[in-house]
Amino acid sequence: MENLTIDETKYTPNIVLDAQKGLIEIKGKSYPENTFEFYKPMIDWVEEYFKGHELPKTIINFEIIYFNSSSSKLFFDFFDLIEEMSNEGKYIEINWIYDKDNDSALEAGEDFKEDFEKLNFVLSEK
Amino acid sequence: MEVFENKLIAEIEELQEKFTKTTQKLIKDVRRQDKIMIRSDKRQQKEYDELQVKLAEVEALQKEIEDTQKEVVFTMGAIGESRSKETGNHVKRVAEYSKILALHYGLSQKEAEMLKQASPMHDIGKVAIPDAVLNKPARFNEEERKIMDTHARLGYEMLNTSNRPLLKMASTVAYEHHEKWNGKGYPRGLSGEDIHIYGRITALADVFDALGSNRVYKKAWDDDRILKMFKEERGEHFDPNLIDIFFDNLDEFLSVRDSLKDI
Repeated sequence: MENLTIDETKYTPNIVLDAQKGLIEIKGKSYPENTFEFYKPMIDWVEEYFKGHELPKTIINFEIIYFNSSSSKLFFDFFDLIEEMSNEGKYIEINWIYDKDNDSALEAGEDFKEDFEKLNFVLSEK
Repeated sequence: MEVFENKLIAEIEELQEKFTKTTQKLIKDVRRQDKIMIRSDKRQQKEYDELQVKLAEVEALQKEIEDTQKEVVFTMGAIGESRSKETGNHVKRVAEYSKILALHYGLSQKEAEMLKQASPMHDIGKVAIPDAVLNKPARFNEEERKIMDTHARLGYEMLNTSNRPLLKMASTVAYEHHEKWNGKGYPRGLSGEDIHIYGRITALADVFDALGSNRVYKKAWDDDRILKMFKEERGEHFDPNLIDIFFDNLDEFLSVRDSLKDI
């Protein structure tokens, strides 16, 4: 399966999707003009990856320093998908990485952790 | 007896189950939406607060820069004046007179305010005049007069290297405040409107104040004598327009003089 990288821009994060490493990484700011359009390639890739291309262990690293509310909604949807995969028996580890001075990032991480209690969700201070 | 259950019931039950699933998902979504909204509102408020704080900091810095500039410029003027045995209030009065003249002449509020700040530097070139000349208690001979008169060009050269609008303005003031409307001034012998309005204004403000002040080498002139001289110098030493403005608004000048008396 082909890997996918989306470079960081002023409004959007750097996304690295690596099937050989079993790595999904989102890093940076997220306030795209059209959030759902922007993340569609990523969602498509993740769906495809879990159709048999996945490694025994998949790591998801989230390091979002600033995001708008539609990004927040999208991340919920994304974790829904991950939860579904997890329920199907895929082993997935999620690291929510935040800067200690960034309260908003920490709070968002706590929200996700609380909402997806079945997921292996680790809050990790940078 | 075997009971045949209506097939419809099974179908309705299936529907019920789907309906429950869907409504549960909807409830979950609505809860999430609400959560996102609350978080987002909280974040926006925090960001707004931070922005206000930063903005206030920038404004304070801006004011600090402007105040520093004013202070430096004023101090430079005072240095120039101290070399020529003037008192501190002379600089302040010349500044105020210049602003009044500028406003009535029709310069903008901003330009008038700048001139108020720049005009005190008119004598800054005197820092480069040797003490032996500057402090001579008697009249200058021709050679000494020539040296003394270089202060206008020296002031211009000191300030003209700057790109700051205020210092550029001050360099013009320093250069042209001894020019006369009739062309008999120095250093370049400019006449009429070839003399920049900043120079013409400062010339009048400076002379009006110098005549009305006590000096070691002379007593202050009384007002009648000053006003008579100003009338005579209308269109000679001074821009006739400015002299008209001066007489039309004499009370303004006199009240500045009263409020900034030498102690």
